[in-house]
Amino acid sequence: MRGIVGILMLAAALALATVVAGWWGVPLAAFAWGVMARSGRRAASSAALAGALAWSALLLWQATRGPVGTLASRVAGAMQLPAPALVALTLLFPALLAWGATVIGQALAARLGRGRV
Amino acid sequence: MSPRPRTTGLAVPILALALYAGARPIGPAPALGPFLDPANGVWAVAASAELPRSAAARIPGLGAPVRVVYDDRAVPHIFAASELDVARALGYVVARDRLFQMELQTLAASGRLTEIAGARALPLDREMRELGLPRVAERKLAALDPNSDGMRAARAFAEGVNAWIDGMAPRDLPLEYRLLGRRPVRWEPVNSLHLLNRMGWTLAYSDDERVRLRAQARVGRDAADALFPVVSRIQEPIQPNGQRGPRWDTRPLPPPGAPDTAAILADRQAPIPPDVLGSNNWAVAPARTAAGRALLAGDPHLELTLPSIWYETHLVVPGQLDVYGVTVPGAPFIVIGFNRDVAWTFTNTQSDVVDYYVETVDDPVSPTTYSLDGEWRPLERRVETYRGEGGEVVAVDTVRYTHRGPLRRAGRAGQGAQWLSVRWTLYDPMNESDAFVGAERARTVAEWMRAMEPYSVPAQNMLVADRTGTIAIRSTGHFPIRPGDGRGDVLRDGSTRASDWTGFWPVAEYPQAVNPAQGFLASANQQPVDPAVNPRYIGSNWYPPWRAMRINALLRADYAVTPDAMRRYQTDPGSARADAFAPAFLEAARRHGAATSGANGGAANGGSTDGSMLARAAALLAEWDQRYTKDNERAVLFEYAMGELGSRLWDELRAPAGGRGDDGPEPRPADAITAVLLADSASVWWDDRRTPAVERRDDILAASLVAALERATREHGAPTSGGWRWDRIRHANIYHLLRLPALSALRVPVQGGPSTLAPSSGSGGFGASWRMVVELGPEVRAWGTYPGGQSGNAASSRYTDRLATWAAGELDSLRVPRRAEDLRGGQVRSTLTLSPGR
Repeated sequence: MRGIVGILMLAAALALATVVAGWWGVPLAAFAWGVMARSGRRAASSAALAGALAWSALLLWQATRGPVGTLASRVAGAMQLPAPALVALTLLFPALLAWGATVIGQALAARLGRGRV
Repeated sequence: MSPRPRTTGLAVPILALALYAGARPIGPAPALGPFLDPANGVWAVAASAELPRSAAARIPGLGAPVRVVYDDRAVPHIFAASELDVARALGYVVARDRLFQMELQTLAASGRLTEIAGARALPLDREMRELGLPRVAERKLAALDPNSDGMRAARAFAEGVNAWIDGMAPRDLPLEYRLLGRRPVRWEPVNSLHLLNRMGWTLAYSDDERVRLRAQARVGRDAADALFPVVSRIQEPIQPNGQRGPRWDTRPLPPPGAPDTAAILADRQAPIPPDVLGSNNWAVAPARTAAGRALLAGDPHLELTLPSIWYETHLVVPGQLDVYGVTVPGAPFIVIGFNRDVAWTFTNTQSDVVDYYVETVDDPVSPTTYSLDGEWRPLERRVETYRGEGGEVVAVDTVRYTHRGPLRRAGRAGQGAQWLSVRWTLYDPMNESDAFVGAERARTVAEWMRAMEPYSVPAQNMLVADRTGTIAIRSTGHFPIRPGDGRGDVLRDGSTRASDWTGFWPVAEYPQAVNPAQGFLASANQQPVDPAVNPRYIGSNWYPPWRAMRINALLRADYAVTPDAMRRYQTDPGSARADAFAPAFLEAARRHGAATSGANGGAANGGSTDGSMLARAAALLAEWDQRYTKDNERAVLFEYAMGELGSRLWDELRAPAGGRGDDGPEPRPADAITAVLLADSASVWWDDRRTPAVERRDDILAASLVAALERATREHGAPTSGGWRWDRIRHANIYHLLRLPALSALRVPVQGGPSTLAPSSGSGGFGASWRMVVELGPEVRAWGTYPGGQSGNAASSRYTDRLATWAAGELDSLRVPRRAEDLRGGQVRSTLTLSPGR
């Protein structure tokens, strides 16, 4: 249960970071998360999931404001992609950013921690 | 526990790759980070797709608050305290819906498409710059009176556009900018001039001289003059000539002459196929309408795009202005529309306002001077730099100018190339904005005609009607006065000023008619004046008069015209061209069959047509009602036969085998010339010189019909299979401005064929761009639609919401409220309050 709550809180943080700082907010926040959770075994995978959740939530929010489905098919068509692929890419992208940034944050924190010891 | 080294080693390149793809465009794909960002990226476009119930904004420079009410068709009705505030608000609302279109059109008109499309757009940009269009716009802006109504409106319009750009939320950035990774640039008043220039290029730039020369190179001058005549062989003029039907000139065509190889000139652009830009307009006097009120129909045909070239709006300044219609996004006025008293619309005049002069230059490769009246004069040089998407230099050209206009090379360097200077009415100072702004306020036809007198280019057949029942038409624009015989369809000697234009026609001499006895006026790009009435040269590039013949026939037969009949006529499936040719095919088949009977389908009269196939084709064609309805299953046979006929008949104009291949596309006389030739069954033109036999008219018609049947069966199956339905073969293809199929409306079934009032031919990329019917009674009533929708946002319900109506040939009833309060409840889609301020 704690794990789920944690992921949801991390997703909320990543969504907030996206709104405030744009897409760069995801790797920055995830990196910070990695530094803080340097010993967490599932920190990176949680971050990846949280990244996808965060952008899913933002997509849903956009869907309440306008025709996201129509937009998806038009934009995907313009990029010669199927619409689901565009949605999948939109969720995969923050997941990769969050996962990679968290791993590196953890590694850096661990290295700095060893240096202090 | 820190991540394993292998995990870290994997994370580094993945993160680096994701960051790179996020920050930088890869190939045609935009940078993924800002693009996919669901808060402010492309997904946010959905939030701006629909108009909010109400909104408010500030526009610097606004004199007083402006109220904008969008009706249920998403038409903004702008209520303002001054005409300048109207222009500011118009700029704001048009930018809100069509910002990318405005910028793209400006880039196209100013030869800067390479900035968004890279080097592949270079040929298009070069065409604009070599014709001097950006230079012309800059010069015109400098020459305009800054205090004129038109200039003040253009500046106010720019303020409105820039207020929108400055106040845009991230969600408001149009999709196209995101796909291209660009930001909008601020709007300048000169952009409005670029747009007018672009319209001039679309409608008034023609190279009749070159088409004629290509024909002359193959069949000699006399034959070329006959095949591409200055005078239309079928006279159904705009200015009524007192006749009750078309007048045919069926004198025999002269035979092909010896090729005039000196006449070959390289062509720079493929000509627009005939009859794809076929606009119509007509007005009916009260005496011939059911309600006793003047009726006017507007039907301009242009390239079909999404979003549409037009934007519909209603501009109101109480006591001063109350005008409704369509504007070109970027223009601060209504182009086609109506007010409470007057309605107006245009078709293109097709006048010859571009001339070429053969110049004598000092250096055939890189000239610096040209000879004029025995003196060498320096060529003005302008360096044109084309920039790419990242601002890099794609190409640098030098465009040279004589006192007439830009200098262009025709032909390949070192192979008899000539340097031609271009003289065009577009190069002269103009003030179209003043003319339109004045016309919007007119209360009568006479006032409207007076307001449009300064209008110069592109020349238009301006049709106007008023509430008192007056109807009038005038071909308005600058028509040059040339020395000598006055013809502009020949190359002129550039070495002397004696070849130069000496002025322009006075307005009183423009082709025109007011309240003609016949009770109606119509134009369809045909020759404006019957040369039997006035032989003065005004042009030669006349569209075949088939559409004019059809609409005149419909109007002559209708003594109680209703608005609904006006609407129906706009997509009438009948065709004067089919009426002329279909019987000829059938008669030829009958005669040919009789001549070959007993010969078991063998050859006769030099023909080699299969008799049973011919009988079958003729039987199928006889089933045709000569109408291009969507469900028609025989129109395709006729059209294929017409295509075969042109190919067989005009073999003399084909490029000779083994030719240099640089003398341009095959010139093809209009169908009207072929129709005239039908009267001369033994003309040598009928002989297909590619065959050993000597063919006559009936042989060619019969062979064309048989070949058409073979082709139709091969491509669409048996005649009864359903594959021959017209709506399976002819479509409108309405491309997005970036030609992205996913943002386009393709294969839209439409009623009409070549030379019907709604002509449909070629790529399907041209068609009725705005259809309007206006009844001028005590209260103006109007109907209209265009293919597309008001919004440029592809996710919006307003992007293509009018397409079905347009394709069905229907019109929407237009709301014309006097006050904002007159629109109520479900009639209001959205409101916008604009206030003065920063």
